[in-house]
Amino acid sequence: MNSISINKFSTWYNKQPILKGINLELSSHSITAIVGPSGCGKTTLLRSINRTAEIEKGFRYDGGIQVFGRPIYQSHDVSAVRRKVGMVYQTPVALPLSIKENVLFGPRYYGTADRFEQDKIVEECLQRVALWNEVKDRLNHSAGQLSGGQKQRLAIARVLAVNPQVLLLDEPCSSLDPSSTRLIEELLVQLAGELCVIIVTHNLFQARRIAREAVFMLNGEVIEQGLTDILFTAAKREETRSFFTGDMG
Amino acid sequence: MNRRKIRDGAFLTLLWASGLFMLFVLASVLIYLLQRGGRFISREFILGTPGGFPLGSEGGILPAIQGTLMLVFLALCFSVVPALITAIFLSEYGRNTRFAHIINLLVQSMAGIPSIITGLFVYALCVVEMGWGICLLAGGLALGIMIFPVITVSCRDALMAVNDDYRLSAESLGASRSYTLRRIILPQATTGILSGILLGMGYAAGATAPIMVTAAAIMARSPGNLFEPIMALPYHLYILFNEHISMDQAYATALVLVLLLLLLNSIALWLNRQQERKQYR
Repeated sequence: MNSISINKFSTWYNKQPILKGINLELSSHSITAIVGPSGCGKTTLLRSINRTAEIEKGFRYDGGIQVFGRPIYQSHDVSAVRRKVGMVYQTPVALPLSIKENVLFGPRYYGTADRFEQDKIVEECLQRVALWNEVKDRLNHSAGQLSGGQKQRLAIARVLAVNPQVLLLDEPCSSLDPSSTRLIEELLVQLAGELCVIIVTHNLFQARRIAREAVFMLNGEVIEQGLTDILFTAAKREETRSFFTGDMG
Repeated sequence: MNRRKIRDGAFLTLLWASGLFMLFVLASVLIYLLQRGGRFISREFILGTPGGFPLGSEGGILPAIQGTLMLVFLALCFSVVPALITAIFLSEYGRNTRFAHIINLLVQSMAGIPSIITGLFVYALCVVEMGWGICLLAGGLALGIMIFPVITVSCRDALMAVNDDYRLSAESLGASRSYTLRRIILPQATTGILSGILLGMGYAAGATAPIMVTAAAIMARSPGNLFEPIMALPYHLYILFNEHISMDQAYATALVLVLLLLLLNSIALWLNRQQERKQYR
């Protein structure tokens, strides 16, 4: 089943075209990697899917994106779109709150006031990102003390706490050491069983390790989409081949 | 290589020297005031009313202390809320909009208005036109207008200094700006906001020109009514010096004013520390 379908989607920042007529179908319950050289529009595409691209001034779009059948750009409730489509950024961000309150930031906003319910969400989400055992004795301590890898897992837990259907990650491991990276990758593979995971990555090996499908983008266009292994070994387009063999990018 | 090292060394020395120089100036002011005015400070001086002939050559300065405290309090009442709202608009809602640029320009221009002009404006509008007369309320308003841009700019800068990643993370969870403001941005900016308010308080406590024409009298009772003239420390000081009433009394008054400002600052610093400690609990 396809969770996200993108239809002739184009964007501009201050009249400069970024995405040019993207057509894409992304399947649920799997990891899709979006790869391509810097400045090819990967991040803009990702941020368009949870409607945070429009925070930037001068943003304009054309075309549409459907998430589980719902056209998100027709929705007036931007908040609901962002809730359903969670986003994790390149820099691990721990909000200046306790570890517990970081996880509860979203749920509290959406009205979860019951103490018992809150504790349940905190434990469950931290378990899902494999952080529970490391922090269960200091839930009320500042999240600022956590390491980069822990902060990134906390950021994922914060997103999971509002029950998204899609998880977008923009180079989530680019500032992490190899062991933290492995932890996050394992985590994403597990999460892909429950939700649609889309990851932008510069690391082709990472794409190969965890993503079933990959999308190759160049200059704001989708050049090729397919099973990751196929793109590595038997890409149809010349540009894709040269990117995957390291001649470009 | 060697020359570069020498240049580095010279620059570092310059930095240290200018820092030490400022410290020296500050310390000299305090020591000088302590020497000239310290021995005249007594219980009667703090808790008494001015007396003697000419008036103020003996006695105390209690009404002036109370007047200054009341003026500062009123100035804060008039300025803090509008300044904070303006700052929140400039940093959170209107950032980079044309309207915000205009507001920024206006606030900067307001900061450039000489304080005597602010005083005369309030004098013309409130004291004369609206018939308040020379009074505490008019002085508070004049000082409030005077410190509004100071507080606005420092609150705006404190809010803008909060990491933008927090805003983005919160916004991509679907949280509203007001929720993020309340949970994250304001608590993070509290220190800066408090220090901005303090800056304004110090500025208001020391200003003489705006209250000269709106609120201050040479002699008045302790403030009890918003529509009566009051005494204030800087104006009292000005009169004591200017009319050569009593240099001893003047130095003692100056010392009290400086100590009052130090006290205000210490309290606020202490508040800041408390705030930082509880932030993560």
